[in-house]
Amino acid sequence: MADLSLSSVPAASASFREALGAPFRSGALFHGKVRIALLLLVPILLLTVFAPLLPIQKPLETNLRAMMELPSIQHPFGTDKMGRDILSRTLAGVQISMLVGASVAAIALVSGMVLGTLAGFYGGKVDRVIMTIVDIFLAFPSLLLAIGLVSVMGTGLIPVILAISLADVPRFIRLQRSQVLSLRSRAFIDAARTVDASQFWLMSRHIVPNTLAPMLVAASIAAANAILIEASLSFLGLGIMPPSPSLGNIVRDGQMYLEQAWWISTLPGVVILLITIGLHFLSDGVRELLDPRARR
Amino acid sequence: MNYQARLANTMATTAHTLLEVRGLRTQFQTGSGIVTAVDGVSFTIERGERVAVVGESGSGKSAMAMSILRLLAHPGKVVGGQVLLEGRDINALSESQLNKVRGRQVGTVFQDPMSSLDPVMRVSKQMVEPMMRNLGIKRDEARAEAIKWLGKVGIPEPERRIDAYPFEMSGGMRQRVMIAMALSSRPQLVIADEPTTALDVTIQAQIVEVLKNLTSEAGAAMLFITHDLGLVARFAHKVAVMYAGRIVEFGRVEDIFARPCHPYTQSLLGTIPGTTMGKHERLPQISGLPPDMRKPILGCAFKDRCAGVHERCHAEAPALSDRGIEHDAACWLPKGLDSVAMLAPERSARAVVESAGTDKVIVELNALRKQFSTSKRMVVNAVNGVNLRVHRGETLGIVGESGCGKSTVARLLLGLEKPTSGDIYISGLAQMVFQDPASSFNPKMTIGAIVEEPLVVKRQGNRTERSAKVRELIEQVGLDPSHADRYPHQLSGGQRQRVAVARALALDPSVVVADEPTSALDVSVRAQIINLLVDLKQELGIGFVFISHDLLTVRYISDRIAVMYLGEVVEYGAAEEIFANPKHPYTRALIEAVPVPDPAIEARRINVPLQGELPSPLNLPIGCAFASRCPMATDLCRSTKPQLPNHDRARQVACHHAT
Repeated sequence: MADLSLSSVPAASASFREALGAPFRSGALFHGKVRIALLLLVPILLLTVFAPLLPIQKPLETNLRAMMELPSIQHPFGTDKMGRDILSRTLAGVQISMLVGASVAAIALVSGMVLGTLAGFYGGKVDRVIMTIVDIFLAFPSLLLAIGLVSVMGTGLIPVILAISLADVPRFIRLQRSQVLSLRSRAFIDAARTVDASQFWLMSRHIVPNTLAPMLVAASIAAANAILIEASLSFLGLGIMPPSPSLGNIVRDGQMYLEQAWWISTLPGVVILLITIGLHFLSDGVRELLDPRARR
Repeated sequence: MNYQARLANTMATTAHTLLEVRGLRTQFQTGSGIVTAVDGVSFTIERGERVAVVGESGSGKSAMAMSILRLLAHPGKVVGGQVLLEGRDINALSESQLNKVRGRQVGTVFQDPMSSLDPVMRVSKQMVEPMMRNLGIKRDEARAEAIKWLGKVGIPEPERRIDAYPFEMSGGMRQRVMIAMALSSRPQLVIADEPTTALDVTIQAQIVEVLKNLTSEAGAAMLFITHDLGLVARFAHKVAVMYAGRIVEFGRVEDIFARPCHPYTQSLLGTIPGTTMGKHERLPQISGLPPDMRKPILGCAFKDRCAGVHERCHAEAPALSDRGIEHDAACWLPKGLDSVAMLAPERSARAVVESAGTDKVIVELNALRKQFSTSKRMVVNAVNGVNLRVHRGETLGIVGESGCGKSTVARLLLGLEKPTSGDIYISGLAQMVFQDPASSFNPKMTIGAIVEEPLVVKRQGNRTERSAKVRELIEQVGLDPSHADRYPHQLSGGQRQRVAVARALALDPSVVVADEPTSALDVSVRAQIINLLVDLKQELGIGFVFISHDLLTVRYISDRIAVMYLGEVVEYGAAEEIFANPKHPYTRALIEAVPVPDPAIEARRINVPLQGELPSPLNLPIGCAFASRCPMATDLCRSTKPQLPNHDRARQVACHHAT
């Protein structure tokens, strides 16, 4: 009899969740990895958004009387050699990182879905042309490709976003194409073809909605990578140019004084780490929520 | 004495008992609760006895078989009961002791031979090494023995084929290899889990004969899991009927088929269209669905679907009790239902328009050919000159083994493929009901949107007119209109197939093509869908093309039948005539291969199954395509192709020897 009472408990809590509505029904907020991700990302995002309201120096404001000061109440992350507040600069850097991450993910998602769908759905010549170009791009490591493109296009925010996107788009095309190929042979596509549905109808109603979930997961990983690549480029002096703060160039600035003032490089570095870990947990959690096989 | 009491009395296993299962319980720990898949199952198998376990999917029959050898994968766990093999409790053995039992004392044959054989290992390696270990013989001896077994299971040229890889063999051949492997260590018990479900009828007949002969030759007992009651009648000594994790009836095969005592067994036997059943009789069907195994079941598990349900069934679950010699059933009623008529009160004969179609031709195929080129030089002739006609209000059944081109004909009819040559004439519109209701719907669309899609694509009506039409269609196929807001995964297989029918009817087609519409469904649901299709045909007067390998269903549902072999129609005629008097040797072989759910008929049959397999459609023979497998083949057949005489509705046979 013991097992009978045991088995009724999950059934009851399931109906409880059913009643609470969609996000609760899918259990998204109860999922462990998603919760860790939100705990990491939400505070950073809130601080970034409300940075202008915080009682700290402006990112570009110098204070020569407080150079290279240790973290304190007034300067929670300390100051650099020109007396600028590291926390304020870091938050401004996060803002740029987030912008880069979001735009890269959006560009890669949209162009990857369009080109990948066309390649997978039409096959033949269209597929061969698109995939040959994709293969050429995929032959380069993405950081190297981004460095090359930035050195051609010049530095600054827009070139950095474009360079990183261009390195990511081929991967998205490939992923989308493989999904389209497996969907194309499913019976519901045939079912729609028997009523003479147009090709646009097939792609927009049947194929794209079914590829969206894995593409969103890929996009969140791409966002995390883009943040890392932007930081790397800025660190190498190829990305966002000083005095505009970016996580990468703050770390670069502090690198020379690592022995006297460890906080200049280290604290923004930790922030990069937390954001990346957060985004990876988020994409992992989302993937598990969307794929019932990964749930146990 | 009832079964439980008898079990208790035989605590000391008798000399003849091989396997004794007592109160076996197996649970699966899933995300949404604990599923008790096997709930207190007890039975015995004597030496050399063949016991069949039948039940719908989800009844726990496979979990039960896997529990016997503790072969369950991760979330599954045996939580209680004993499994005594020759008096030794398997549950008490360590994993290494158990490994000696598996393979040596007990052989297993699974449903899918492709996934049970290692794809990167030659057959010889997979067979020889276990034999060396199990029988303690040298490599050369083991290899010679393996070749002998491959020969016994009917693999041609076993000396050469033993060094083949599994992918170089057909499904039937691989299943033979599995059987040879299971039997080669001379086990005392063979557990076969749906060993023929993935195979064609003629191959199934061969495999069943091989299993039957070799187990009785070696004196091995067998536990045979299946959902095909015809096979049970052909094959088993005893039958265990499982429902919701329990055995509800157990007994000798003759008793179970002649005097079933549990309403579930009675209904299952009733839902199969017999060989003599006429179209005016509606198939009895079991309404409802099996219970949710995550929830505790109060009272009898079958109560919600049972026609003979009464108060006691809701309160208490009946245990197995005695119904005759070695015959037990778990029901409060001593004889179950009084008659199968109780199954379907509305079963009253349907008003049949016995005209079987009018003269108006709605579909005509002329010299239809379809070739697929696999590479530059290889050409597969999938459809090789087919002439067929469907008249208004007529059902044409197309039967044949897999690879005979019947599905390609359907795809050509619907315009999903372009014919290589020949022409297709359709008056009106052709629509399709697909085989697998799980993949024929877009999972992101609601049922309402799925049914509405054809109307939207064809721009018929405005939004309110369309939604009214959708409601009407959903009601027409026997579903509640509230189902329109659900998603496909929230419906059962049978409900999904109803939705598929509703969608096919949305544009008022003149012909509906149904490609194996019932093969993915359970027996109890199958009858519901067949009844629905027949009723709709009567009601709407549309033509049907019904493609299936299930000959009993095709006979029941069709007015005319076309038998296809290697892309050609070899026999065509009225359904009853073809079944009563098949003229083409292939049609005869097909009909003979179908197991009939009646042990008396099966016992009288002399089973000489059709030998060999379908030849490759890559290089077709010059003469009759069937000559390589035909018992009547002569030189004339090998040199000249028999043509189908082109009469309209008359009987047609493409054979030199047909009289």
